[in-house]
Amino acid sequence: MIEVQQLTFSYKKSRETLHGLTFSVSDGEIFGFLGPNGSGKSTTQKILTGILKGYGGTVHLMGQKPSNNLREFHENIGVLFEFPYLYTNLSALDNLNYFASFYPADRRRDANELLKKLEFKMEYLKKPVSSYSKGMRQRVSMARALINQPRLLFLDEPTSGLDPAGAVLFRRLIEEERNKGTTIFLTTHNMQDADLLCDRVAFIADGEIKALDTPNQLKEKNRLMSNDNRESTLEDVFIRCTGRGLS
Amino acid sequence: MTHHFFLLLRKDLRLMLAGKFFLLALGSLLFYSLYINLFYAKTDQDIYPVYVYGTHHTLPKNMDAIHFTNSLEELNDKCMDGYSVGIDASGENINIVMKSSDINTIDALRVQYAESFLQYPGRIDEADKFLSNFREPEKLIKNNSLELKNRREITCEFLFFELAAVGFLGLASLMFKEKEMGVIRVYGILPGNVWAFIFSKLTLFVVSDLVFCILLTLINVGWKPCIAVLPAVLVQTGILSMIMSLAGLLCSVCVSDFRQFSLLYLVLAIFVTTPVFLVGQTSVKLDWMLYHPMYHLFMQMKGAYFSSVTSGFVYYAVCTAAIIVLLCAVYRAMQREMAKEG
Repeated sequence: MIEVQQLTFSYKKSRETLHGLTFSVSDGEIFGFLGPNGSGKSTTQKILTGILKGYGGTVHLMGQKPSNNLREFHENIGVLFEFPYLYTNLSALDNLNYFASFYPADRRRDANELLKKLEFKMEYLKKPVSSYSKGMRQRVSMARALINQPRLLFLDEPTSGLDPAGAVLFRRLIEEERNKGTTIFLTTHNMQDADLLCDRVAFIADGEIKALDTPNQLKEKNRLMSNDNRESTLEDVFIRCTGRGLS
Repeated sequence: MTHHFFLLLRKDLRLMLAGKFFLLALGSLLFYSLYINLFYAKTDQDIYPVYVYGTHHTLPKNMDAIHFTNSLEELNDKCMDGYSVGIDASGENINIVMKSSDINTIDALRVQYAESFLQYPGRIDEADKFLSNFREPEKLIKNNSLELKNRREITCEFLFFELAAVGFLGLASLMFKEKEMGVIRVYGILPGNVWAFIFSKLTLFVVSDLVFCILLTLINVGWKPCIAVLPAVLVQTGILSMIMSLAGLLCSVCVSDFRQFSLLYLVLAIFVTTPVFLVGQTSVKLDWMLYHPMYHLFMQMKGAYFSSVTSGFVYYAVCTAAIIVLLCAVYRAMQREMAKEG
């Protein structure tokens, strides 16, 4: 689904942000992309979603370069941004119907059904987004990411702003999507999300991938290397790989 | 792209309605019209005094915008101030008499103004042919009263101000709203096109400016003169509206917050439009004004209101180039904005 070879990128007049990233993500896999702020996570995601151009190396998604047919590519992906980014003067339903109308009719999901699945408070359905809590906005934003039945789903901090019950619901929904065959590229600081959801995890720091494996393998390797009998966590792995914590 | 364009157009229209943009435009229209009809149209100032020799004995008595002279010498004397304009209608051909103000566009406007008193909307050489068919001198000058002149002038100024300053602010406020909500970033991953995003906004503002122009001209100039000048005025309105809308869009994308933008707006309003009005409407001379793009846009708009656009190929070529450059700059800025961090 995703094939990245020697990916490099630098913003104008600044040093290189990405230094030759190489990784691949299989169909139907949940791939965690973890790293501290400024490590190059967002830049990588922007390149993968076709927003940033002018990179070095090769990037193939769904068998082709995103720039080859950007329109078709965007019809097949869904993105949950770190912030909800919704029209606050419109209701949840109006927002979803508006964004859905950019996709072909046969790909659109029913906005009402999606919101019900996300346990959205239906009495707010026609109220403007400006009156919603952070968690409700996050639910609408997730519904927007799923509205076109994407083959490839990019999630940036999906459980941020959610209460524990909401986070459990989101994780269940992400699993459901994967079971339907959707590939998921998850960017997060939340180690619990990464541990529970991801098939494989890549740690990125200073524009380089420091470690890439399944969460269990990474934890096991870390335990052996540190000669520590207690069970390692993903956070321990990250600190060992990069020499710093997730901030 | 057409489907996405109309989707964006409908969404922008909703945002404009929610932002009470049309209500504000209607308020401006009402305010300008009240000012023109209750106050300005009745003022007796005449910016370029027009002196006529040769037809005064047959002219109607209520032609208060023009002054008659008893001889050609007197006409020449009156027009030596570099400000007044003379019409010598004593011979078979009509001649415009005036001393140059040393600024070509001002001279052109003075000629346009004097010509607007003639019954035809045309140039001097065409006038010669036209006038040779007439023997009765009273037909040489139409009833372009001082009130009508005032109406044309002030309507032109208000329209220019509305397009240059208010329109600029209107589009920027719409853009800042979307920037604040962050939704611009979402368009980066939608199957739509950045051009559709730009053109939907541009279309809405240009169309609303054209409608505003029609209503303002119709209400304040009167329907007969309005019909005569409207095609030329609409062309100039379209050009100015496109340039200002794109400039507003560019500034609102590039400038990070509304406070910075307000400062930019003040600079534009005070230092850009004020000298244009000063030179365009009074005898103040500023040589560098010829290099001021807004000055040319204003003079062409004024020429359109007096049925005498003097612009040629170069003017339209420069305007087209400016619009293309602005469009490309907005496209690049928009792409950058879509790729920004949250």
